[in-house]
Amino acid sequence: MFPWVDGFHWSPNHIIFLTLFAGVVLTIASTIARAVWRTSTDFQTHRATDMCWQLNFKELPEAERTCRHELAGRVSHRTCPNAFDCRHCAQYAEFAALPARGGALTGGVSFSNELLYHRGHTWVRPEEDGTCTVGLDQLADHMIGHPDSVQLPANGTGIETSGVAWRMTKNGHEISVRAPMDGTVVATGGNADGWYLRVRPTKPGDLRHLLRGAEVSGWLAAELDRLQVQFSSADAPVCMADGGTLMPELMDAMPAADWDAVLDATFLEG
Amino acid sequence: MADLVVLDRRFIARGVERSSALRFMFWLVPWVILVGLGIYAAALCLFYGLNQTNMDNRFAFGMWIYLDLGMIALGAGAFFTGFLVYILKQEDLKPILNSAVVVGLICYSGAVAVLMVDVGQPLRAWFTFWHPNTHSMLTEVTFCITCYLFVLILEYLPVLLRNRQLRKVPSFLVFEHQLHKLVPVLAGLGAFLSFFHQGSLGGLYGVLRGRPFAFRQGFAIWPSTFFLFIISAMAVGPSFLILVTATAEAVTGRKLVQSTVFRKLGRISGILLGVYVALKAIDTLVWLNVTSRAVGFAPWDFYAYKPFGSALLFIEILPLGLLPVFLLTLPMTSKRRGWVLCGAALACSGILLNRFVLTVQTLALPTLPFDEYLQYIPSWQEVATFLGVIAYGVILYSLSYRYLPMFGQSKGVDKNVPVG
Repeated sequence: MFPWVDGFHWSPNHIIFLTLFAGVVLTIASTIARAVWRTSTDFQTHRATDMCWQLNFKELPEAERTCRHELAGRVSHRTCPNAFDCRHCAQYAEFAALPARGGALTGGVSFSNELLYHRGHTWVRPEEDGTCTVGLDQLADHMIGHPDSVQLPANGTGIETSGVAWRMTKNGHEISVRAPMDGTVVATGGNADGWYLRVRPTKPGDLRHLLRGAEVSGWLAAELDRLQVQFSSADAPVCMADGGTLMPELMDAMPAADWDAVLDATFLEG
Repeated sequence: MADLVVLDRRFIARGVERSSALRFMFWLVPWVILVGLGIYAAALCLFYGLNQTNMDNRFAFGMWIYLDLGMIALGAGAFFTGFLVYILKQEDLKPILNSAVVVGLICYSGAVAVLMVDVGQPLRAWFTFWHPNTHSMLTEVTFCITCYLFVLILEYLPVLLRNRQLRKVPSFLVFEHQLHKLVPVLAGLGAFLSFFHQGSLGGLYGVLRGRPFAFRQGFAIWPSTFFLFIISAMAVGPSFLILVTATAEAVTGRKLVQSTVFRKLGRISGILLGVYVALKAIDTLVWLNVTSRAVGFAPWDFYAYKPFGSALLFIEILPLGLLPVFLLTLPMTSKRRGWVLCGAALACSGILLNRFVLTVQTLALPTLPFDEYLQYIPSWQEVATFLGVIAYGVILYSLSYRYLPMFGQSKGVDKNVPVG
């Protein structure tokens, strides 16, 4: 028992109990303190963003973790083990050397061979002055249309690959757009093509992880297939559309769809 | 209503099929009513005192203590599964670990809630820690159960923070990850605490010199019941997990864990139950022939009062003890789901009967020449509080199943099965 309790003696039994109890309480308290301290350290050392993305990636369904080389037809089946960061992939060069078999993309969305794409539906365009422009791709743009509000980062803000680049709201849904690259925001704005960021890369030319060419067509085709399944009624069998195309302002056109699930899958939330 | 449906869907993990919000609400209604009734009954007891119950100075332990002992034994699956997975590295039991934590949390928090009503004056609960009775085994039980409840809450926290919406908050997600990495420490601590409080709950009866029906000899300061309670709790914990999971599978219409997990839990439960039954049999023989004779009681003295005849002892040891051992361990039966469930149900019933006998029969039997045989029938307030705790458990488990990753379901795995 405790020294201040009537009946306490400095006898072996009481000392053993006191030691064990103090040990238990200290273990519980130190466990909580360690978890809090480690969490705080992760945020201070900027590891938290990558950690959150890695944990989110693990929660993505396997079909949404397909390797870019499978999307490009270079391999028959491969799930990405690197959280879409090919800069850390030991087999990247081996697979990239294989011939790609990119199919024609139908469904009302197109892509540009001039742009590099991130799986979170953003594109990157390297500019002549060494900066990069980052924007939403056509599929995401068709889906959201005109957002109700947009929260762009201030100039000078650092962004990290697969961390949050900017936020939008549409019909009560919060959308966090993932950053396609590491860098510092130098300008932001909106034009007829949508909202964009101008980013100075942390490591210029370090964009190997972004999709290009045949990988993009394969990926967008898979994304359109996913959308078709998600938009089909729970009772109806999955069926192919007969040549239709993705219409703009989809969130307004189909308010009854399960937009939480669609947006989570589109913007890579686990 | 439409907003509620949307809100409900937002909290369910993406790609995981669950029943409709309306169906889920209908499922919850009866349990919520029972919880309401339980809270009302508990409030009566707290406001007016224990005259609302049928306990008295002689029958000081009743239905609530029986519930406590039963729930704490059945909830042992939490510490034991954690011990098996994190300390003994039985990784194949991982899929059931979260469910075990939820079951443990329900059992222990329910037991503590009932104790609050039973002891009364919950606002002065801290007196137990500040002014402990240094001569009572219950003091050690209180310390251990309270600490272990904290441990269970900490073990539950990572499961809770993995909810679809909560994990979108970066600090929650990182904290969950960091806390999850420390769970092995908590599992070890849980095993340590459980070892002592499970034992002390048994020891509590074993040291009752004035109650020859319960009094036992033992080692050092620990009577034999100390060890029997530990082993029986370890034996029955996995069995209860099997039953809970099988019930969840039946209600939801989904296969939640592989049959190999059931078989392994069943075998562990069966082997430990075998050890327990053997020790229990030896203990009973020593008690009947040595311990109770030494204080002037013949074996038949304890079994002369109906309905507590000797049949109860044999039922506990044979159909609810030895039979489940065979069902859970023999190759012929342990591979069949039906027999494993039957064995697990018998094992749980046996331990519940053991706790009932030690709580109720011990107090009912006369010990002095002028004592009378007492009968105790719980009041409706006691029953309502009891049912309220059970209903609370069902609600917490249902909510956890619906919104949290209870069985580590892979997304889309259970899409083609009926919606439960």
